Amino acid sequence: MIIDALNLILTSPIIQRAIIASILVSIIAATSGTFVVFRGLSFLTAGVAHAALGGVALALFLQATAIAPWFDPILGAVIFAVFVAVLTAYAGERGVAQKMEVAVGVSFALSMSIAVFLMYYLPPTLVPVIWGYLIGDILLLDNLDIILLLGVALSLVTLFILFKNEFVYVSIDMEGSTAHGMNARAYNYLLLIFAAIAIALTIKAVGAILVYAILIAPAAASNEVMKTVNNVIIGTFVIALLAMFLGLAGSFAISASPSAIAGIIAALSYIIAIQVKRYIRSK
Amino acid sequence: MVTTPLIEAENLAVKYPNGDLALEDVTFSIDPSTFMAIIGPNGSGKTTLLKTMLGLIKPAEGSLRVMGLDTRKEYQKIRRMVRYLPQRDEIEATVPVKVKDIVLMGRLLKKPPLRMASRKDVDFAKDALRRVDLVDLWDHPFPELSGGQRQRVLVARALAAEGQIMMLDEPMSGADHDSQVKIVEALQEYYNESQVNIIMVTHDLNPIHTVVKDVLMLNRRVMGIGHPCAVMDLELLKQVYGPTAKIVELAGHKYCITGDSGFDRHDH
Repeated sequence: MIIDALNLILTSPIIQRAIIASILVSIIAATSGTFVVFRGLSFLTAGVAHAALGGVALALFLQATAIAPWFDPILGAVIFAVFVAVLTAYAGERGVAQKMEVAVGVSFALSMSIAVFLMYYLPPTLVPVIWGYLIGDILLLDNLDIILLLGVALSLVTLFILFKNEFVYVSIDMEGSTAHGMNARAYNYLLLIFAAIAIALTIKAVGAILVYAILIAPAAASNEVMKTVNNVIIGTFVIALLAMFLGLAGSFAISASPSAIAGIIAALSYIIAIQVKRYIRSK
Repeated sequence: MVTTPLIEAENLAVKYPNGDLALEDVTFSIDPSTFMAIIGPNGSGKTTLLKTMLGLIKPAEGSLRVMGLDTRKEYQKIRRMVRYLPQRDEIEATVPVKVKDIVLMGRLLKKPPLRMASRKDVDFAKDALRRVDLVDLWDHPFPELSGGQRQRVLVARALAAEGQIMMLDEPMSGADHDSQVKIVEALQEYYNESQVNIIMVTHDLNPIHTVVKDVLMLNRRVMGIGHPCAVMDLELLKQVYGPTAKIVELAGHKYCITGDSGFDRHDH
C-alpha cells in the first residue's frame, strides 16, 4: 500500500518537478542566501522578492493590454529585482549598510505600490496569477520553470566556485579590498545582481512572502553554528533541503501549502540554531 | 640624484560628502623610505588624507602624488603598491573566517581571481602572524578574537602582503596595552628589516614617537611636519589641541598629554 502510494507519487511528473525544484532552491539558498546573510543584507531578499511582484504585475498588464504581449511575467520579475539590487549596491558603494536598507525599503514600497495599482487595471482573471506569485506553488511548476531554476543554480555554483574569496572579502572588508587593488565594487554588483535574479526566479516556486524564509532562515541558522564558510554553505543546503522536502511531504499528509510548511520549518531551524549556539557557549 | 617623494601634496583641498572642507591648503613632501605618523585631533582630516592617497576620495583642489603617481588618475597603480589596514569599524565580523583567511587575504587580494594560496603565501602569512605573536591562533575563528587580537591579525595581514607602502589607519585603536606594544614592536622590526614605507594615522603619538621617523601634524591644515621631537613642541600642541595640552618628560622621553590621549596607558 505505502509502496504503491510512494510509487505513484514518485512517477508523477508534478512531484518529480517539485522534488527537482526543491533541490535547486536549496542550492540557491546555500549559495546566494548564504552570501546575502554574510553581506548583512537579508532584508534585501524581502525587498527584491516584493519588487519582483511589481514586475509580474507590470508584465501581466502589458500582456493584457496587448502593449507588449511577449512580456513574460518572469522577465518583469527579473527586471524589477535587478533594479532594486543595483539601487541597493549603488547606495552601499561605500559599504554603509544603513543606506542600503533605506534603498531596499523605498524600492520595496514603490514596486508593491505599482503592483497594487496595476491590479485594478487587470482583467479579474489575471489577478489570481499575481496572488500565485505572492504565495507560490512548487506543485505548479512547468518544465520551463525547472530549466530556469536549473540555469540559476548552475550559474550560482559556477560563480561561487570562481569568486568565493572575492565575495567573502567584499563582505568582510570592502574598503580594504579596494585599497589593495581588487575591484570590490564590481564584485559587490555581481553578488547582488545574481542574488536578485535568483530570488526573482525562486518566487514562482515558493512565493514572494516565503522566499525570505527559504533563502534566508537556513543560511542565518547555519551561520550561527558553523565555523567555516564552506560548512555554512553545506549546512544551509541541508537545512533548506530538509525544509523543502518536509514541506512537500507534509502537504500530502495535511492539505496545506508546501512552501508554508517549509517556511515554518526553516524559521524554526533558526530559532533552534540560536538555542544550540547558546548551549555550546554556556558549556 | 633626485628621488621621487613618497608623498607630495600641493595646495590640496578635500571635501567631506556634505561639502565641508576636511583638508585645505595642504602642502608637504615626504621622502622615502619612511616610518611616518599622521597625527591630529578628531576630525582633523587624517583618515581623509589617507583615503585620498588611495584614490578612494578625490581632491577638490590641488594635487596629491604617491611615488609620483597622481591619486586622481593613477590610483590603480598606487593601490598595487599598497597594503592597507582600515579603521576598525570597517571590518565586519559576520563571516565565519579563520585568522589564517584574514592574513592570507593580504596576499590573495594582490593576485588574479581564483586567488589560491601557494606554499609561499602560507609561509609569508605565518611569518607575519609570528611577528605579532599570534601564530598559535592560525586556525582560530577571527570573529571570536578580542579587539586587540583582531588589530594584531590585521597588522599581520598588512605585513604578509606585498607592496612598497603600508598604510595603517589607527592600528592601535581598541587594542589593550599588550597588543599595542606588540604592534609597535612588529612594525619597528619590519621597517628596520625591509625599509618598506609605513604611514600610520594615529590620534596618539606617544606609543610610537620613539620609532617613527617623520610626523605630520594635521588640523585641516598642516600644523607641523618633521622629526617627532620637533613636533612635540608645547606651543604647537596647545595651538592644535587647546590650552590643556602638556608635555611631560619621563625616563628621557617626552610624552604629550592631550584631550585625545590618556596618560595612564604610558606611565608603566
